[in-house]
Amino acid sequence: MMKKTIKPILWLALLVILIFFPKLFGVYYTNVFVTFAIFATYAVAVNVLLGYTGLLSFGHAMFFGAGGYGTALALKHIDGLALMPAIGIGFLAAMLLALVLAPLVTRVSGTAFAMIHLAFGQLFYILALKLRHITGGEDGIGNFPIPAFTIPGLISIPLKGDPVNFYYLAIVIMGLSLWLMWFFTKTPFGQIQVGIRDNEKRIDYLGYKIPQTKAIIYVVSGAFSGLAGCIYGLFHNLVSADGSLGAMISFSPIIAAMVGGVGSFFGPIWGTAVFQVIEELTHRFTDRVELVMGVILILVVMFAPSGITGAVNTMKMKWHAYTASKAKMEKTS
Amino acid sequence: MDPTTSMYVAQGIHGIAYGMVLFLIASGLTIIFGMMGILNLAHAAIFMLSGYFCYQIIAMTGSFWLGLVLAPIGTGIFGIFLERVFMRSIRASGHLGELILTLGLSMVILGLVKVFWGTQSLPMQVPEIIQGMVNLGGLEYPIYRLFIIGMSLVVLVLMVLLLYKTRLGKIVRAAVSDRDMVNALGINIPVVFMLVFGVGCWLAGIAGVAIAPILTVFPGLADQVGMDAFIVVVTGGFGSLAGAFVVSIIFGLLSSYGIQFLSQLAPVLMVIFMAIVLAIRPNGLFGVKE
Amino acid sequence: MNILETKDLHHDFSGLKVLFGINLQIEEGERHAVIGPNGAGKTTLFNTITGTYHPSKGKVFFKGKDITGYKPHKLARIGMGRSFQITSTFTRLTAFQNIRLAILAKHGIRFNLFRHVDKMKDITRETEKMLERVNLINERNVPAGLLSYGKSRALEISMAMATDPELILLDEFAAGMSRDETHNAVALIRKMTEGKTVVIIEHDMDVVFSLADRITVLHYGKILATGKPDDIRDNQDVKDAYLGDLQV
Repeated sequence: MMKKTIKPILWLALLVILIFFPKLFGVYYTNVFVTFAIFATYAVAVNVLLGYTGLLSFGHAMFFGAGGYGTALALKHIDGLALMPAIGIGFLAAMLLALVLAPLVTRVSGTAFAMIHLAFGQLFYILALKLRHITGGEDGIGNFPIPAFTIPGLISIPLKGDPVNFYYLAIVIMGLSLWLMWFFTKTPFGQIQVGIRDNEKRIDYLGYKIPQTKAIIYVVSGAFSGLAGCIYGLFHNLVSADGSLGAMISFSPIIAAMVGGVGSFFGPIWGTAVFQVIEELTHRFTDRVELVMGVILILVVMFAPSGITGAVNTMKMKWHAYTASKAKMEKTS
Repeated sequence: MDPTTSMYVAQGIHGIAYGMVLFLIASGLTIIFGMMGILNLAHAAIFMLSGYFCYQIIAMTGSFWLGLVLAPIGTGIFGIFLERVFMRSIRASGHLGELILTLGLSMVILGLVKVFWGTQSLPMQVPEIIQGMVNLGGLEYPIYRLFIIGMSLVVLVLMVLLLYKTRLGKIVRAAVSDRDMVNALGINIPVVFMLVFGVGCWLAGIAGVAIAPILTVFPGLADQVGMDAFIVVVTGGFGSLAGAFVVSIIFGLLSSYGIQFLSQLAPVLMVIFMAIVLAIRPNGLFGVKE
Repeated sequence: MNILETKDLHHDFSGLKVLFGINLQIEEGERHAVIGPNGAGKTTLFNTITGTYHPSKGKVFFKGKDITGYKPHKLARIGMGRSFQITSTFTRLTAFQNIRLAILAKHGIRFNLFRHVDKMKDITRETEKMLERVNLINERNVPAGLLSYGKSRALEISMAMATDPELILLDEFAAGMSRDETHNAVALIRKMTEGKTVVIIEHDMDVVFSLADRITVLHYGKILATGKPDDIRDNQDVKDAYLGDLQV
């Protein structure tokens, strides 16, 4: 009963904090929060594949990058393109890439799946570096126009150079994406997906087609990764090979998901938060972020393989067992 | 020889030399995978580390030959250390845990290398006897690359002897074809795993030393060459030595002729080749179904 | 009419021959047991029928239709269900969610991305009804991996039946069960498979003789005998080859 009344209050509190965040914490932390929102969405999109279906991709940066480059190229070359279509183009670019790759990659699983993605991720990184006339090479595409958010006849909100307005756009889009992905896991299809993770053979014997099912999950994961990448590109007003397609862009959501816990939907969000705090702190003392991240990964795998949410659940279970045994003891004594 | 032909021949030898280096890395990877079921993502970093070891030995002793022998051995011992301390404790948590762990190890090695040696390219001098060019029927060719091919062949023969003439080799071959069987034979598996991991890293170490004088030693070496080796293992089929050899040579040639004709996009050729192979045979060229 | 028929079915694993020309006939509505000593090829026979393996020679017919080499999901859709010797449930999903997946499959709800599954009232009701019938309603919210052995076997069997197949193949459903659990499982199968065709592989002779209408004895990949339980009991070949060592 308690839970039912507390939950809406918590959501309301969260909403209020989100609305007044820029006023409360200033521009610097508002920007930090936008980065967090983008990478949290990205990590959840990766985890839709990793945690819910058991498919590990070492190359999701290609979707993240496809979203970013798609939008940036569209805004650079199409005059007068409105904001929402531009974002839509980024989303569709990533989705299309996933659709093209799906027939190939859904035939393999496990280690081969991970490695194929590593290779394809690297391929797109190299292409972005070498096809200089399209992608701008190492410099990337920067300072492309960012149109205002407009509803014709109603409002027009400028975004370029306005971090607070951009903050609202980003959290609305990222929030919506998270909700859609969460809903996705609650549909009948989402159930099949979890079934594949637990027991692929049985899903087959129940009459579901495995490759097609995997392909849809793959496309959803790729498309939302692309959306995150697209907002990231708009946020920095820059897409570059290292910033949007580099190996770390593929690895960081996996690390976030591992740290937060791949078994739960919200785990990767906590993981991203921890990841960001650590990155922020490390940057202050040293530039050896890679080293610190590596050590964290090793520690997580060796000592807390189910991540923060896993550890919290274990503690909860222990606590329940403890209170139960205590209650029992009181009863007997 | 007319200039065009000699160019083709030179690129061919280049390709074979690079293919042999790839094979040295990939063979270790694929044996470790076949035997233990681990794809060691830190393998590329270990390969690079050997280059640094060799650089350090040369800096301290001035002898390339000493570096050539000792650096791979040091790398092998380092591999054994990794296996004992890290791999063993997470055997139970499945391939996801292993991939993530070796990814973490790879990042740590890369980070530490930058701490100790910085990020700049470190050049490496080879002794005079293997410097310069040799005349091959009208074709001027760098001796060092021929030396790489020769050395790789020696290692290859050693490996074949190790695999087919020793008890360890027999166990390894049996384990690659049927992991459960070896478990049933009452062999001391942990020791075998340790040795296999050590030998795999030793092979990567030789490759690291061999390539260092050509490409110099720098942190990006792991990504640049290591990535190719991973693609070799996936394309050749996990656990298949023959697959690793064939694909290594194909990739070596693709890369050297690719640079000649497509300069910028040579690395793309390998990924396309991989995609085609996997589209037809999802388990790789010589792969068997899991 | 024969609902399932195999004609001259052969299978070998890279040279190791396991099945030699099996001609199996399963009549519609009967409960048929396949027995035989270890290594006789029983599970291989199941696997070649249900699409895990492609037979190296021969054909399989289901309701008169050639289904040789059909993939499992296709067989499931035309009305064939099976259970596994080694429990094969979704260990991290609850008993309810396990059964619900089967119920969703039965209704052909596959690529529905637009409705919240918990809000599909009919599906929930049907799943709960199934849980009640198989006595798992008290374990509704327990993850399958945490169920007791007997309960997880019951879940395994009920998942094979929840898709409402016409033909059900049960691979050693009583393996590892206690006497009581076996007794309950037999009662459950009797109740759940009313009017359906069931093929079981079983080692427990009490189960076989109490449940089966007809029995096929497999020996070294060949059919030794097929017939009513009493005929099988009296068959001299069967006694020599198999029942003899078990002292039944």
